[in-house]
Amino acid sequence: MTQVAPASASTKSIGEVLLKIEDVSLSFGAVHALSEVGFEVRDREILAIIGPNGAGKTTMLNVLSGWYGPDQGGIVFKGVRRRRLRPHEAATLGIARTFQNVALFKRMTTLDNIMTGRHLKMRTNFLDHALYWGRAEREEIAHRETVERIIDFLEIEAIRKVPVGRLPYGLQKRVELARALAAEPTLLLLDEPMAGMNSEEKEDMCRYILDVNDEFGTTMALIEHDMGVVMDISDRVVVLDYGRKIADGPPDRVRADPAVIAAYLGVAHADA
Amino acid sequence: MDILGALLLKPFADIGGSPLFFLEVVIGGVLTGVMYSLVALGFVLIFKASGVFNFAQGVMVLFSALTLVGLMELGVPIWLALIATILVMIALAFAIERLVLRPLVNQAEITLFMATIGLTFFLEGFGELLWGANVKKLDIGIPDRSFDVGGILVNEFELFAAGIAALLVAVLAVLFQRTKIGRALRAVADDHQAALSVGISLTSIWVIVWAVAGIVALVAGVMWGGKSGVQFSLSLIALKSLPVLILGGLTSVPGAIVGGLVIGVGEKIAEVYWGPYIGGAIENWFAYMIAVAFLLFRPQGLFGERIIERV
Amino acid sequence: MSETNRVALADTIPKMLAHNALEYADRPAFREKDLGIWQSWTWRQVYEEVRALACGLRAVGLKRGDKISIIGDNRPHLYWVMAAAQSLGAVPVPIYQDSIADETLYVLDHAEARMIVVEDQEQVDKVLSVKDRVPRVEFVVYRDARGLRHYEQPFLRTYAALVESGRKLDVTNPAVLDAEIATGKGSDLAIILYTSGTTGRSKGALLTHDNLIVTARNANQSEHIHADEDVLAYLPMAWAGDHIFSYVQAIAAGFTVNCPESPATVMNDLREIGPTFFFAPPRIFENILTQVMIRMEDAGWLKRQAFKYFMAVARRCGAKILERKPVALVDRLLYAMGQVLVYAPLRNVLGFRRIRRAYTAGEAIGPDIFDFYRSIGVNVKQLFGMTEASVYITMQPDDDAKPDTVGLPMRDVEIKISETGEVMFRSPGVFKGYYKNQEATVEALTADGWFRTGDAGFLAPDGHLKIIDRAKDVGRLTDGTLFAPKYIENKLKFFPNIKEAVCLGDGKPYVSALINIDLDAVGNWAERQGITYTSYTDLAGRPEVYDLIQANIERVNRDLERDPNLAGSQIRRFLILHKELDADDGELTRTRKVRRRIIADSYGMLISALYSDKSHIAVEAKVTYEDGRAGLLKADVAIRKIELADVPVPLWKAS
Repeated sequence: MTQVAPASASTKSIGEVLLKIEDVSLSFGAVHALSEVGFEVRDREILAIIGPNGAGKTTMLNVLSGWYGPDQGGIVFKGVRRRRLRPHEAATLGIARTFQNVALFKRMTTLDNIMTGRHLKMRTNFLDHALYWGRAEREEIAHRETVERIIDFLEIEAIRKVPVGRLPYGLQKRVELARALAAEPTLLLLDEPMAGMNSEEKEDMCRYILDVNDEFGTTMALIEHDMGVVMDISDRVVVLDYGRKIADGPPDRVRADPAVIAAYLGVAHADA
Repeated sequence: MDILGALLLKPFADIGGSPLFFLEVVIGGVLTGVMYSLVALGFVLIFKASGVFNFAQGVMVLFSALTLVGLMELGVPIWLALIATILVMIALAFAIERLVLRPLVNQAEITLFMATIGLTFFLEGFGELLWGANVKKLDIGIPDRSFDVGGILVNEFELFAAGIAALLVAVLAVLFQRTKIGRALRAVADDHQAALSVGISLTSIWVIVWAVAGIVALVAGVMWGGKSGVQFSLSLIALKSLPVLILGGLTSVPGAIVGGLVIGVGEKIAEVYWGPYIGGAIENWFAYMIAVAFLLFRPQGLFGERIIERV
Repeated sequence: MSETNRVALADTIPKMLAHNALEYADRPAFREKDLGIWQSWTWRQVYEEVRALACGLRAVGLKRGDKISIIGDNRPHLYWVMAAAQSLGAVPVPIYQDSIADETLYVLDHAEARMIVVEDQEQVDKVLSVKDRVPRVEFVVYRDARGLRHYEQPFLRTYAALVESGRKLDVTNPAVLDAEIATGKGSDLAIILYTSGTTGRSKGALLTHDNLIVTARNANQSEHIHADEDVLAYLPMAWAGDHIFSYVQAIAAGFTVNCPESPATVMNDLREIGPTFFFAPPRIFENILTQVMIRMEDAGWLKRQAFKYFMAVARRCGAKILERKPVALVDRLLYAMGQVLVYAPLRNVLGFRRIRRAYTAGEAIGPDIFDFYRSIGVNVKQLFGMTEASVYITMQPDDDAKPDTVGLPMRDVEIKISETGEVMFRSPGVFKGYYKNQEATVEALTADGWFRTGDAGFLAPDGHLKIIDRAKDVGRLTDGTLFAPKYIENKLKFFPNIKEAVCLGDGKPYVSALINIDLDAVGNWAERQGITYTSYTDLAGRPEVYDLIQANIERVNRDLERDPNLAGSQIRRFLILHKELDADDGELTRTRKVRRRIIADSYGMLISALYSDKSHIAVEAKVTYEDGRAGLLKADVAIRKIELADVPVPLWKAS
């Protein structure tokens, strides 16, 4: 870790604003999950969204990936402003995500799971399958090649043909990342990618996240509890507390921010 | 003693006495079983993809057959009528998705089940309204006669029906296992949330399964209707497919096929060999008896997923 | 005849490779699974690539006699680096790829490596972490560039660049390399293999081309190994066994070396390749068998019954049929049926569908396991080998393989037993000594060329060598009872539930045991029993698991009881360790042999509890991860006492 992070940080070129959240508010009944939260995600950066439990992190991610529509505010993605996205629409725009509790196709093999990640990249339709079997077959092979590169990248060759329901949790998380990567996303949203992992697995996952960012230039927004991990891998940190943004900046500055310290000390010692 | 002998010994003696006839009975059973399989298949497809137990599957068989016959009675040639009916079933799938499933998305399973009961009454009434309530004869040009193969009588129509059904199953198997759409279908059957996140559109998947179920229903309707006329009782074969589903498991395509064959063969054998001693009409309830036995010993069905999951 | 002459002329590995490029030109030399597909290289392609590599290495300054270290999983390219270095007269020094940084540093420093060739980022990071302590290292070459794009250290080179620059040089002036290859001779040093000793620092065994080539040719001839073999190269490249099986023997015979996709896919790749020639330590044969048994228990009733029935048939006559001995006609017919229904499908699943010979060595193999494989037609044979012998010392003949011997001396090998009972040998394969360690060399090698193996054993009347234990490990209880720990441990480990066992007793009043359960086997058993568990530590502490293991130990005790010499060394107390013994923690060697001294140190508390009245003890254990970081594991370990009701009261109790 310590060897990789400085090297990549020094040479990486963070680009234009890719995604802009404009004063998003969202309530569930009387609960204000998000109140006028606004921030930017820049091309190629790794942005961490942190905050105590119930701060609205996952809600924010769900807004970004189209699962929730905000009551107010909007999302500007690649310069186009939208009031809300639908999940399907978000996927089409190149926003892929993983889930806190792993949402995989448990009965399908690792390979099939990752292949579904190519769904939107596949051009053949129902009729092609019926009329031009050869074309569909060729397309399948081409996509399989992309998927094999991801399998190689994430070192999951050994579980290619295993139904994912039988895999240990840490590996399932990795397959889920692989499936998200298969979509060749512009923006990758990771909801607690390291939850429930031991320190060795966490370290592996960190390495994969950095490698993905480095190798494919994928922009990432992630939620994470482990502050060590956040400080190590992210370029910028957004801190939420009670649905409001209380800090936004490089890890070192955020760590020293009195408002952040207060929020963490007040709520959860362990996370800090 | 007599009764026991009649139930436990005589039938087996009969079977042993004329193996050729037994084979004939079995083949007859297989051919009926194929029909059950087709209807059960429609149930399974929809249940897997959308979690909806489609009570209307039986009436879809009737509706499709009625449409086909109705069109033919209007003088439309059979191949054109078939294509038109397929289009009608696809249109029906769109309509169901739009008017029934979409408004009820995220509702409890029982709500959706009730909705399909409603759909049943609607299709029944709508079909009769369009095409009338009379028993109609469906002639698709395959003679309903038997011929002799090495001493065994085989019904030509049933053989043809079985062939078509086998072809249909093969096409579906390729569709499910080897294509992008099949993978998407399996994905939706497995986890809706995950399917949405990779950009699979639930609505189009629903339309596809309902359309496929509609086409399967049409095939069943044509076969069955061609055999015994198109009439209201056609929708009742749906009831026969319930034991098939119990046997095969609600989520298993191979289960639906094997289950249908087992029930078909089982009830034919029971009818022919045990019927005379019990007083006949075994065919009507034998399937349910097998189903009950299965519920006792293997509730997940032949191919259903194990209920005990690995930790 | 002319062919044999030409082969005989090749007295170095690079010369043999040049010969293969002509003789076996378009036959596959290496295969590797990459991106899900098996890629393959012919002998001609390999020779060209090796030449290019050699020229590239020469251009960056590698000279005759220089040491070049190689670290990584079994990859064709890394084998080629060896051959390229040897072409220049340089000496490859492979290092175990899972060594911790400290061990790697030791070897790099001791061998005075000038260059290092590694596989990927993981190894580059490890080398970088010690780089400033090995100033002699001038270049680090890596093959897989992933994650390394932003590494800007000036001494890093890519494999691809090296080959590319070398290829140009070789095309413009091939005579340079031809001359280098021609200069090499059989008595030159070919490789230094560091042995993972059970005690102390590892020692670098010096092997010449003559050592390796003569031994490999002898083995190929007596074992009828030809160019049509397939071997799976999956054991560490730094281990003498892999070096001889997948490198020297392969080049000597011209057969194909298959490299698995990754260490985790070995079992799959084994199945896909179906090697004809295979080596595995006993534990791997055991693991494979355990997998089969577990799957069999999950299979349907009919399958299970057929398996049971035909395995009984196989037990009765399978080994005899394999050894072409007379068998009753009925059994022969049944076996033929079993062949179709059970054995052939089983061999296929195991990856042994084309197997002609499978070898095992290093430790005693369980008789059940040994017989199982032979009975289903897999020709498993035991051999006795050592790094210092260029591996082969003794080998079981095809028709005379027994679970408790290691066979007859190989061609040109002499064997004798010293007065102290230690096995000694002399052969053309005997090494030239330990690198920069005259003391150890003199200790192991007599003036007239005999090597002391350190193993206690004897020659049986039929000429077969029998190994009992490490000579220094045989001990005595306080009452003088003979205590052969390995002997008892092996008996314990033959139970599928027990993965590792360490017996204590030398200088103690009675024998006790530390047990490592097999997570696969016991985990599966627990699942069937409806016992839930969260981790290895949790499972290991379950009373039900203690009952299970106790039953196994009692079986071993009954066995021991039968032998009057050993009845006193029955196990009286045992515990199940809360963590798996691990090479990363130094508890096992890289070849997974138990390191007693280290275990005695790190489990001192547990051991003293075994010799007290305690029924449980709380422990903390240090664990080391692959990158060298340490963690802490806490647990409460139970200790079980085993009653030996029907055994005479031992002396120590009477006194």
